[in-house]
Amino acid sequence: MTITLAIDTSTSRTSVAIIEDGSILWNGHRDGATEHGPALPSLVQEGTKGFAVNEVVVGMGPGPFTGLRVGIAFAQSFALARGISVRGVCSLDAIAAQINEKDFIITVDARRKEVYWARYKDGFRVGEPAVSFPADVSGAPIHSNLYPDMKALVALAGNINKPMYLRRPDAVATADRK
Amino acid sequence: MNGPLVLGIETSCDETAVGIVRGRTLLANVIASSVEEHARFGGVVPEIASRAHLEAMQPTIKKALADAKVSLSDIDAIAVTAGPGLVGALLVGVGSAAGLAIGLDKPIYAVNHLAAHVSVDYLTHAQEIEPTIALLVSGGHSSLLQINDITNSVVKLGQTIDDAAGEAFDKIARVMKLGFPGGPAIDAIAKEGNATAIDFPRGLTTSTDWQTRPYDFSFSGLKTAVARYLENVPHYARADVAASFQESIVDVLMLKALAACKESGIDSLVIAGGVAANSRLRAVAAARCEKAGISLRIPAPGLCTDNGAMVASLGALMAAAGRQPSPVAFDADSSLPVTVVSLS
Repeated sequence: MTITLAIDTSTSRTSVAIIEDGSILWNGHRDGATEHGPALPSLVQEGTKGFAVNEVVVGMGPGPFTGLRVGIAFAQSFALARGISVRGVCSLDAIAAQINEKDFIITVDARRKEVYWARYKDGFRVGEPAVSFPADVSGAPIHSNLYPDMKALVALAGNINKPMYLRRPDAVATADRK
Repeated sequence: MNGPLVLGIETSCDETAVGIVRGRTLLANVIASSVEEHARFGGVVPEIASRAHLEAMQPTIKKALADAKVSLSDIDAIAVTAGPGLVGALLVGVGSAAGLAIGLDKPIYAVNHLAAHVSVDYLTHAQEIEPTIALLVSGGHSSLLQINDITNSVVKLGQTIDDAAGEAFDKIARVMKLGFPGGPAIDAIAKEGNATAIDFPRGLTTSTDWQTRPYDFSFSGLKTAVARYLENVPHYARADVAASFQESIVDVLMLKALAACKESGIDSLVIAGGVAANSRLRAVAAARCEKAGISLRIPAPGLCTDNGAMVASLGALMAAAGRQPSPVAFDADSSLPVTVVSLS
C-alpha cells in the first residue's frame, strides 16, 4: 500500500494531492505565479494530516524556474525528513494525460513570450519537451493553460532527477561585456 | 552541551550552506559555493546560483548531519534565511527548510540574513553581550546596527547609500584584473603595498556628513576615484593602489563604527559579514578598539562569509529565548529590512 504525496509547481498553480494506489485521498491547489513559496507548505501541512505518506512524487517541469525549484526543493527535503523515496516526472506528461486525443500538443507558459511544449501521439510523448515561440509550434491541435492531473503525475512517475530547465541561465561573460 | 538542536539553511547569494548548532555549540558548518561558476561573469549570476543551490542542497544537508553526528529526527527546529538576498536563491532554501520542518513536524524560524551574520558571534560566549554595536560589511550590505536583543531588537544606525563595501572590492578588483571575488585578491596584493601611497577619498566624512548622516557609508566616489587614478597613471603600482584603496574603506568603516560606540556609550563592537574576513580591517579594528577601550569581537574568517551556522545560531537563540516560530506559510523577502529579525 503506497500513500503518495504528489507535488507540482511547474505552472502558475501550486498543486498538492495525497494519492493511495491510484485514488485521490485529498487534493488542493492555490493559484498565483509567485505564490509557490508560501502556498506549498500550507497545502502539504493540511493534506498530509492523518496520512502516513510513504512516497513523494514531484513534477520536474518544464516550467518557470523559480516556482519549479520551490516544489523540487521541498519534495526532496520532505522525503529526506521522512526517510522515504522521491521520484520525478515530466509535468507536461501529467497535463497531457487529461487529453483523450490521438495527436495533440501541450503548451505551457515559459515567460518571455515563449512556451514549453511537447507533442503526444497515440498516448505517448514524441521526443523531448522544447521551448519555442508559439508561432513556431504547430502540426497538431494545441491545448494550453492546463494544469497537471495529479493522479497521472503519480502514475507516470519515473526516474527524472534533474529539473527540466530547457534553457541556459542568462549571463554574459565579463570579457564579452561592453 | 545543552540547548536546542537547530539546523540552519542559508541560500541568499551564491553559497549553499547548512549549519547545525546545539545551543551555542557549533556542531557542523558545511558550505558548497558556486563562486567559481560566477567568476567568468565578474559577479554572481542569480539563475546560476539558484540552480547550484538546488543541486547542492541535499548533499549539503546530509554532510552537515554526518559532521554533527546527529540524525534529522534529533533536530528540535529548522532555521532558514528568509531575506534579504536574491529571491530565486532564497526560495530554494525556504522550500528545502519548509520540507524538512513539515516532514519532521518541527518548528521553523525564518530569520534575517543580516541579524544571522551578527548572531554567529554568540557562539563564542555563554552569555549575551548586549547591547552591542555591530558593523555588518559584505558584498551585498554595509550597515551599522545597535543590537539590544539579537532575537527581537535590532536598530539600524546607518547603511551604505550606494555600493556595499564588498561590492567596491569586487569592482576595483575587476578594473585591476585581479579576478572575482575581489576581497581576498585585494587583501593579498595590498600586503605588498604602501597604504598611504595614494590619498583616496573617505566617503561621507565631511563635517556636514558627520552632522547629518554620521553612520551612513558611500563607496561609489572612492570607486570612481580609483578608476580615474588607474586611467591617469598608466604604469601604476598595483600593490600601492590596492593597499590605499583598502585603507580608505577600512578607515571609514572604523571611524564610523567607533563614533557609534562613543555616541551610544556602548563599549562593545562586533564586526561581521564577508568583509570582516579582510586582514587589514581585522588589524586596524583591533588596534583602534584597544586604544578606545572598546571590546571587539570578530568571528573566525570561515564564519564571516555566508554560512549556515549563523542561521542555526540565530534560530537556536530564538528558540532558547522562547520566541514564537514563524508560520509554515511564509515567503522569502528579497528586501527584508534589517530591523525584522524573524518573520512572524
